[in-house]
Order: sequence, then C-alpha cells, then structure tokens
Amino acid sequence: MNIMGALQDVWNYQLGTGGPKVWEVAQFVLIIVAAIVIARVIRTNIRRIMKERVPKNTLSNMEKLVYYTIVFVGFVIAMSTIGFSLSGLLVAGGIMGIVIGFASQTVVSNLISGLFLIIEKPIKIGDGVNIDDVAGIVEDVRILSTTIRTYDGIYTRLPNEKVFSSNIQNYVAHGARRFAYSVGIRYRDDADQAKEIITNLLESHPLVLKNPAPQVFVEELGNSSVNLKVRMWAPSTHWYGVYTEMLWKIKVALEKEGIQIPFPQRVVWFADTLKGDITTDRQA
Amino acid sequence: MFGTYNLDVHLEEEGIELRVEGTGRRRRYYRKAGGEEVEKVVYADRAKLIVCPVEPVNVPDTTISEHLLTELTTPAVIASGSRDTFYVKFPVEIGVFVVDSRDVERIDIFTKTQPKYTLYGPPERGIVCKWWKSDLYMEEPEVDRLFEGVMQVDVKNDYYQWMELHHVVFWAFDMKIFYNRHAFMHAHLTIQKRTIGETSFITHKPKNMHKAVDIYQAKGLKKLKEKYVMEWGFQ
Repeated sequence: MNIMGALQDVWNYQLGTGGPKVWEVAQFVLIIVAAIVIARVIRTNIRRIMKERVPKNTLSNMEKLVYYTIVFVGFVIAMSTIGFSLSGLLVAGGIMGIVIGFASQTVVSNLISGLFLIIEKPIKIGDGVNIDDVAGIVEDVRILSTTIRTYDGIYTRLPNEKVFSSNIQNYVAHGARRFAYSVGIRYRDDADQAKEIITNLLESHPLVLKNPAPQVFVEELGNSSVNLKVRMWAPSTHWYGVYTEMLWKIKVALEKEGIQIPFPQRVVWFADTLKGDITTDRQA
Repeated sequence: MFGTYNLDVHLEEEGIELRVEGTGRRRRYYRKAGGEEVEKVVYADRAKLIVCPVEPVNVPDTTISEHLLTELTTPAVIASGSRDTFYVKFPVEIGVFVVDSRDVERIDIFTKTQPKYTLYGPPERGIVCKWWKSDLYMEEPEVDRLFEGVMQVDVKNDYYQWMELHHVVFWAFDMKIFYNRHAFMHAHLTIQKRTIGETSFITHKPKNMHKAVDIYQAKGLKKLKEKYVMEWGFQ
C-alpha cells in the first residue's frame, strides 16, 4: 500500500513551481515516441507500396513530407499535454524563429536553398552530377544538405546553400549526350577508308544512337598524323560504358585494315651533308 | 516456339535452343541463341513455361528505353481527314516465363535482332527509343517469325493538311502483343497537328491468337495512361 502510495506521489510530483507533473512529462514522451513510430511505419509502407509506381525522387520527398508532418503534429499534441497551448506555441515559435534566424543564418540559408532545390529540381536522386567539382550519384536531397556518392564510392555531404549557388552539371537530365574522340592516322593512310571503317563500327553498336547520327571527319592535319574527330551520341544513362568501349574498338578495327595510329615523329634536315659512311646494323 | 510447355521442354528452331532439364523440384533452364548462352536453376513444384513475344524494348537492357520508333523505308503521305490501314514489321524479343497459379516470373528475354537506339525529338527534351526500320505494307506481310512480328497500324489524319509520315513512335508500356505463328500488334495512330499525334494499341484479341504475357503487368504495375503522345513530329 505504501509502495503504491509512493509511486502515486512520484507520478503526481510537480516539476518546479507551476511546471508539469511527472505523468504529464511521461505522456509527452509517450506521444512523441508514438508519433515517431507511427511516422516510421507509415513511411515504410509508403516506400513499399509506391516504390515501383513513382519516381525515386518524388517518393523520397513524399516520405519526408509525411514523416515530418506526423512528427510535427505529434509534437504539437504532446506540447498541449504539458500545458503549452498551440497559440502559445506559435507565438513562442515565431519569437524563437527570429532568434534562431539571426543566430543561425547558415542553417536557414541551407533550409531555404533546400526548399528551392526540391521545387526547382535541378537534380534528382540517382542522377549523375558534378556539383562544385564533386562528381557522383545523388543519394539524397535533404532539407539542409545534399548527399552524393562519388564515383569512387565516397559519401560526400554538400550544404544546400553551396549546391544552390554552384554550377550544377547534371549528366542525365537529358535523354542523350554526345562525346568525342580524336584519332590520328598516318599521312600515307586513306582517311576516307578510315572514316568508313569507324562509321561502320559505330553503326553496329546498339547504344551509339542512329539519330543524331555519329560524325567522323578530318579535324586537323597534325605534326605527325591526320587527326580524325569521331563524335557520337549515346543514352545519358549508358554513355560511359560506350565511351570506355569504343576507343579501343576503333583502334583495333583500323589496324585490322592496315591503318595505323602513328607515333610522334620529326623530320630532321642537316645543314651540312654528313661525311663518312653510315651503315646501319640491318645493312651490315 | 511460342506456346505454353511443361517443365521438361526441349525446343530447337532457327538457331535457338531452349530446354529445361531435370526432375523434381529443381530444374535447369538452358538457352542458346546468337552465340549467347544462359543457364538458370528453377525451383518449382507445379509450374508451366511460357515462351512468347514481349515488348521489343528489353534487350540489351530494360532501362534504356520504353519506346519503339519504327522508321518507314518509304514515307507515307496522308490526306487530310483520311483513314487507312497499313502494316509494318517490328523486332521480336522472346520472353521466357515460369508461371504457377499465383505468379508469373520472367526468367529470360532474348532476340535474334540487332538492337539499335535513336533519339526522338531534340537532345534536350527528346526520348531515347528502340529503333527499327520497316517497309510499309498494304497487306499483312510474311515474316521470319522469330525475327520480326507484324504490326497493323490504323492511321487517321485529323489535321487540316496533308501529312508525310516518316516514323511512328509507340510506347511499350501500352503494347498489346498477340501471337500464333508470329507476333502481332494492332495500333492506332491519330495525327492531330503538324507535329503532334497519338499512338495507342487495341486490346481486342484477334481470332485464333493468344495474348502474350505483359511484362509490366507481370511486374505488378498498373497502367494508368494508355496512349503515347508524339510531340516531336513525324519526320
């Protein structure tokens, strides 16, 4: 009986003068925990149900919106259990907002930038991008920061303010992209034949687009070689595989037909004829 | 080759070999076509194997495109307000599925055709499409059935001017493929403006044909939109 009484006393104990009672604090914690649990369950279900139906980026934003809305509603309800009214909370929130705004301009700047990034959508989750010389795949666009997995697998967090104010190169925003090689052949080789060999090779590759058609032309009469420019378009999502594959294939195809890629060479003229006999090893 | 089989099948046709070996719950699936070989182990009690044509956008990679652009060798000039029907050929991709009373699972897709892609529209906004070139036929053409299928296209020109048609774009998500001896699709093309048209597919199953397994429905995806709007013209 005494134990029950003691527990009841603790339960009804008031924290400070005019403060909330222990059971009210417990209720507050319980509501917050319940809100987080409910938010997580709903988020998981949204992810499971919508994964195949909506784009990854939209799904991520949807998950965040639902999650934070539920947590916020839970927080507001929980606050009312310890004596904070919603109107009081809004007033307090407004004042706090001003204080926080002045105190943490960078955070607010990141927040606003994050909102603009979500609205403008220059990048989406899964895009291959280069932001402020950080190249990789966008992992997440959060409220305060954007995370990128670089091509060598390193987790990189960029503040949204930086993302928003930097030049963003999105490699997959358009359906297709162009890339080019320079291929040098010897002066004695037939450039038209080389162009035909390369064109046929590009035609036979599935991912070198039919339209816009590939271009092969003599770009420059170089010091040691006739330089051909080879331009092609490929689907943006698969261009790198084509890029790494085709240069060597071009080299092999040209050599198969007797066309070679020359080493750098220089013709040297002597002012005076050399005196004496020069006999090479081969002649000897 | 197209049809439904028990899990002890051995098919050989035009350079394609497909077989399922073994007994009991564990079977071995083997396929050889065009120098490519695929082997998989299939665990199943009571299942059937379906071999049928599928939407021709899956090989070499399902993530590249969802559209098929058929380029006409001979362009068609269509009078304003007219309706007509012509036939084109499309590349056949062959899907192999295991199916039981609860689910359909794709285990293999292959083709005898040489895939090629193209861009429909400008680089900044266009879409990557699987590319195929076909003659335009007034009557249903003969086809090498494991290489090409037949698509009937009902075309209607609602625009007030003559239109010249060089290519048509179809959305694989919307395709309805049928088969008996060969693969068959029946499409509609409505020309609405100089650069805008709409393509869709007719769901009605032709007589004596079977409906092919729909890959997207097999994945559990619901089709909300059933038309593709060609917004980058016909030339």
